[in-house]
Amino acid sequence: MSAAGQGTVVEHPAVEHPVLDPALAAPFPKAALPVLRNPQLRKNVAHAIDVIQAKRARLVEEKPDWQALRAAAAAIKDEALGNLGGYLEQFEERCTAAGGQVHWAADAAEARRIILEILREEKADEVIKIKTMTSAEIQLNPHLEAAGVRTYETDLAEIILQLGEGEPSHIVVPALHVNRSQVREIFARKMGIPDLPDEPKELTAAARNYLRQKFLSVPTAISGANFLIAETGAVVIVESEGNGRMCLTLPRTMITLAGIEKVLPRFADLEVMLQLLARSATGERMSPYTSMWTGVTPGDGPQKFHVVLLDNGRSGILGRKTERQTLRCIRCAACMNTCPVYRQTGGHAYGSVYPGPIGAILTPQLEQLRHAQSLPFASSLCGACYEVCPVKINIPEILIDLRAQVTDQERKTAGKFFDPMYVGLRAANVIFSRGWLFHLAQWKGRIVLKFFTRKDGWIHSLPSVGAKWTQTRDLRGLPRQTFHEWWRSRQQGSEGAREPVSESASRRVGDPGRDEEAG
Amino acid sequence: MSPIADSRAQVLGRIRAAMRNSAASAEQAGEAHAELHRGYVRQGAMTAKARQERFVERLREYDAEVVECGPEEVAATIAAQVRASGRQRFVAPEGLPVEWFAEGFDWKIDHGLAASEVEQCEGVVTACFCGVAESGTIVLHHSATEGRRVITLLPDWHLCVVRASQIVETLPEYFARCAKRDQRTENRDQGAERLPELVTWISGPSATADIEMTRIKGVHGPRFLNVILVKDCDRS
Repeated sequence: MSAAGQGTVVEHPAVEHPVLDPALAAPFPKAALPVLRNPQLRKNVAHAIDVIQAKRARLVEEKPDWQALRAAAAAIKDEALGNLGGYLEQFEERCTAAGGQVHWAADAAEARRIILEILREEKADEVIKIKTMTSAEIQLNPHLEAAGVRTYETDLAEIILQLGEGEPSHIVVPALHVNRSQVREIFARKMGIPDLPDEPKELTAAARNYLRQKFLSVPTAISGANFLIAETGAVVIVESEGNGRMCLTLPRTMITLAGIEKVLPRFADLEVMLQLLARSATGERMSPYTSMWTGVTPGDGPQKFHVVLLDNGRSGILGRKTERQTLRCIRCAACMNTCPVYRQTGGHAYGSVYPGPIGAILTPQLEQLRHAQSLPFASSLCGACYEVCPVKINIPEILIDLRAQVTDQERKTAGKFFDPMYVGLRAANVIFSRGWLFHLAQWKGRIVLKFFTRKDGWIHSLPSVGAKWTQTRDLRGLPRQTFHEWWRSRQQGSEGAREPVSESASRRVGDPGRDEEAG
Repeated sequence: MSPIADSRAQVLGRIRAAMRNSAASAEQAGEAHAELHRGYVRQGAMTAKARQERFVERLREYDAEVVECGPEEVAATIAAQVRASGRQRFVAPEGLPVEWFAEGFDWKIDHGLAASEVEQCEGVVTACFCGVAESGTIVLHHSATEGRRVITLLPDWHLCVVRASQIVETLPEYFARCAKRDQRTENRDQGAERLPELVTWISGPSATADIEMTRIKGVHGPRFLNVILVKDCDRS
């Protein structure tokens, strides 16, 4: 037994249970607070993403054609999305011809109903699952449990979360916020192994034993999909542990839930996607196991196969050209690993199963901006996510576009009409469109702000609405002279008239827009 | 009209409404797809020898064990590997060459064994369809010599025989091989069978890094991946 095994159980500060339903979650700044106040959690998150990022960087560097692969992947996805209807119909036709059964779900409720109906037909009261964020998106597990079907997650991270009653905070490594001693505690308690050591190796072995019999005995499995191939009707799943292969080989019946955007036109398109996905996601050249199957193969694997094609807001994203890029996403999580905001807040703050930059654009759009309006603002717009994205989703561009949409939507609501910010913006609109008003405002502003401007030329605190800014940032005081005034005096100066500011003015000629605060 | 059929029309209708001008079928879209710019490396430039070395190096990096042998030594090498594994019960795919069955061990030939029977086996020996050097990947198409998916999944030890002539340098070269085969079959029987239907790409043994990003070998799939590289083409 390792030394850690006999130690006392380490109690970790309980984090408020995160809410990953965009309709119920708190706005991002509020939801981020519990994590920001939990140093252990932040350490866990930072460690995990540092490791992945270093591995990814090394592997991307060894690919001289990385940028060409990204460009090709973006083009393939755009082509797929541009003719999505045709490709989906082709997938349906080929998959059906190969013995699969294709279902269409317009929304989450319908997908849940279809899956439950299949399970009822199979008389299934237990189901094994491969990690699928799409099933988390439609909150499938609680729904099935409520209907009397026990769900067994089989991905190690998902077992940790399911047994520990936690929520995913990352789309590739969902339990990256949980450390080994926390995992040990959960497994020891739930699997009834009190003397389990906290070595990852032992913990992994415990999970293997825990699931082995389930794999061999539960006759129904549910999976997501990484890719659907229109050309052949095949489904592709990329995984590391082999739990995926277990689920899609051993059971009698297999149900795959896939977003409609997962379709690729041709089998050979995988030559691009598979080179990008594992390198971006886990920093591996290929994941240990990538599986592809086509409908039903007599004598090999499940003899009943269902695919549920899920829309749930995706088709609504297609209509806008900029936002359409969102649907290129192959769920590699490179954007969250590189994001300075995610690094600090972890995934739960995003109030959705899709955290990080991709979540910040995907969730509000799936919700048609009825919820999650704070997410497009949860970014510093530094652009790191765009740089690493293997399918070249211009996330900052979409974030800005969504911010505009959220603001547009918000300012039209009655409650926000008298909101100081919108009153201010409307006033600014009037002021900025009339020269004389603008000058008047500058003059008045200078007088008022003088009271708040310190000797160093900065405003450190403002009252009322202004405090929203100065709470976390300082504000430059207004210069003594406006550009117009300076320009006028400069002209007068060159005409040989009075020249009170000539010295400083000539110094500033190259950069007249700069604030002056000297004095 | 059932509600499900309605959903199909609804989803497709929404997609077509969003895309407006595009009512193209997949066939019509085929041309645009064929014209997509593909500037990435499709054909590697390595010599056969370098390719093999790269393949072995990458396999080892992912904790697979590799031994090399000449074309006449395959059976002997398999026997040696099987013996060295310290295991007794093995499963084999239906089409495994008879000389590959090492003597003195319990072999179960998979004519559709139940999962519980496969589970009793400690190891499995198979051939493969292709090896990809760049990523150290073994590709199974689950033919008669590669076996059903379950036999390379449940046993803890997988011995895979890869011929040097099966190794390609890049992943796109593997796909090119599939396409070539595809054309051949199409000519032969009016396009009945085509691209592979079942494929497993294996890159090292089963692994996880879910706990503190520590890579642990062997979760559910075989914990040990051993490869015999048969040097059947030594022209560089």
